[in-house]
Amino acid sequence: MTEQGIWNGTISFSLVAIPVHLVKAVDSGRVSFRMLHGKDYSPLHRRMFCPKEEKAVPNDEIIRGYEIAPDKYILITDEELASVSPERSRTIEIIEFIDMKEVDPIYFDHPYYLIPSKGGEKAYRLLTEVMRRTNKAGIAKFVLGEREYLVAVYSTRGTLALITLHYSEEILPDEDISPKEDLVDAGEKNRLEINIRKMMADFNPEKYTDRRRKKIMDILRKKIKQTAPVETPHAEGEEAEGPADLLAALKESMLKVKKNR
Amino acid sequence: MSRKAVGIAGRRLALSNLEKDLYPSHGFTKAHILDYYQRVARFILPHLKDRALTFKRYPEGVDKDFFFEKRCPSHRPSWVPTAEVGRDDAEKMTVCLVNDLETLIWTQNLASVELHVPLARAGSPETPDSMVFDLDPGHPADILDCTRVALILRDLLSELRLASCVKTSGKKGLHVYVPLNREETTFEDTKKFSKAVAVIMQKNYPELVTAKMAKEFRKARVFINWSQNDSSKTMVCIYSLRAREKPVVSFPLSWKELENSAGAGDPERLQVMPAEAISRAEKQGDLFQELLTKKQRLPYL
Repeated sequence: MTEQGIWNGTISFSLVAIPVHLVKAVDSGRVSFRMLHGKDYSPLHRRMFCPKEEKAVPNDEIIRGYEIAPDKYILITDEELASVSPERSRTIEIIEFIDMKEVDPIYFDHPYYLIPSKGGEKAYRLLTEVMRRTNKAGIAKFVLGEREYLVAVYSTRGTLALITLHYSEEILPDEDISPKEDLVDAGEKNRLEINIRKMMADFNPEKYTDRRRKKIMDILRKKIKQTAPVETPHAEGEEAEGPADLLAALKESMLKVKKNR
Repeated sequence: MSRKAVGIAGRRLALSNLEKDLYPSHGFTKAHILDYYQRVARFILPHLKDRALTFKRYPEGVDKDFFFEKRCPSHRPSWVPTAEVGRDDAEKMTVCLVNDLETLIWTQNLASVELHVPLARAGSPETPDSMVFDLDPGHPADILDCTRVALILRDLLSELRLASCVKTSGKKGLHVYVPLNREETTFEDTKKFSKAVAVIMQKNYPELVTAKMAKEFRKARVFINWSQNDSSKTMVCIYSLRAREKPVVSFPLSWKELENSAGAGDPERLQVMPAEAISRAEKQGDLFQELLTKKQRLPYL
C-alpha cells in the first residue's frame, strides 16, 4: 500500500489535475517526554479540572464559552461550530501564480511536501520542472482539518512543497515597534553596511545544530547504557502478565482444554 | 452519470452511478451492493446502531484507492443521525450513526462498501459491550489455521464460563467475540483480559499462535490481535461487505461449522458471498444476536 499521507486529492489549475498526497515536511526537533507519576511510574493523562469543585470534569459536562469580559462568556455549541466548518477539499485549486520573493517570510506558517499519487508521476514532474524554471509559486485555498488555509505551492529540489500562509489579519502591526526619528548619520550607515558585507556567506543550515537537543540526546544515550529503565506497573512485556488470579485461572483452564482435545 | 431518486421511510434520496462496477472482476455493481445492504438491513442495523461509523469508501471500485472518513460528511442529509465524539477539542468531531435503513442506503450511495464500528456505543465511548480477538493469519497460515485457534479459544473461554461467537473477517481471518453488555466494563479490563489470553495461547501453541504485533513473529502463525480492545479502534461490522476481489461478507459461523472444517479443505469454502449470506441469515436468524444482549462479567480482574 502506498503511503497514505495527511490528505489525498488533486492539485489543479486550468486543464491540469494531478493526483497527490500531502506529507509532513518538517519534524519538530523537540525531544518529548512522557509525564509519569513519581510514585510508581504510571503514565499520566491530562484532564479538565474544575478548581471550584476540585475535581476532574467529565466530557458531557464540558461546553465552550467565548470570553467577552472577565467572568462573562457567550456560549457556543458544537452544532454552531460545525455549521461553519468548511467542507473537506478534494482539490488544491491554484488561483494565481506569484513570485515567491514577494512573500514576506512572516507569512510562512507550516510546510508540507506534495507527493505524486499513482498515475500522476509524469504530470507532477512536468509541473515541478516548469515551476522551478519560472521560479513561481501557485496560490491556493485549501481545507485541512477544520480550517481553510491560504497556501503557496512551489518547487524545491525536484519536489513540490506546500506551505500554509498566515492570513493578513493574523499578522500583528509593526508600526510602533521601530523608533520614529531617523538620527543615523551617513558614515555610521556605511560602516554598518561594510560590516554586513564582510560577514556575507551562502545559507548553509547544516552548519548549525540544535545544541540543547543534542546535549539531551547525549544524556539519554548515556543513561540507556548505564541504567535500567523504570517500568510502568502493567507495561507491555514478553511474559504473561495481568492479575495473578487471572493468570492462574487461565493456566489451569488451558491444562483442561489441552487434556480434552 | 445516472441518478435515481428513491423514497425510503418517507425520505428522498438521490442514488447515483448505480451501474458502476465496484467489484470489476466480479461484475458486482453499486446497484447489487445497495440491494445486498437493503436485504441484510434487518440483521446488520442492530449491530451498527448508535456506533460511530468509520466510512471506508471505494468511489472508484474495490481495486482502486479508498479513503477512511471518521467525520460525518457535512453534505449529509439532515435526517442522518449523528453524535459528537472525542475527548478533547482536537479530537472532537461529528460522526454518523447508522440507525435506520435510509442512512444505511445513503452510506452505500457514498460507496462506503466496508462499514467499520467501535466496540462501544457513541453515548458511552469508554464502555465496550464486547471483547474481541482478531485472528489474523500470517502467510502461509490461512483461515483454516484460524479455525483451529478459534476453537481452542472457545474452549478456554468456556472453561472460564464465558460464551463466545465467531465470524469471518471477510478477508483472511476470523473474529471471536465475547458478549459483555455491562456498564461496568472498561477497555482497560478487556485489554488486560484479552492480552493475558493471547499470551497464554502463544505459550501453549507457539507453532500456531503469536500474540506479538511485529511482522517477523506472524509468519506462518495466527496473530491474536488483542489490541483491538481499545476505544480508538474499530472492527468491520458483522454482515458488512469487504473490499476484496470478490464480494465477500463478514459473516457469523456456528461453532459446529468450524468444528467440521477445522484445519482441512478449501479455505475459500468458509467465505460467504452476498446471496448466500442473505439466504443463510433469513433461515438461521442472527447468530450474533447474543452479542447484543448476553451479559457476562470478565472474571478474576
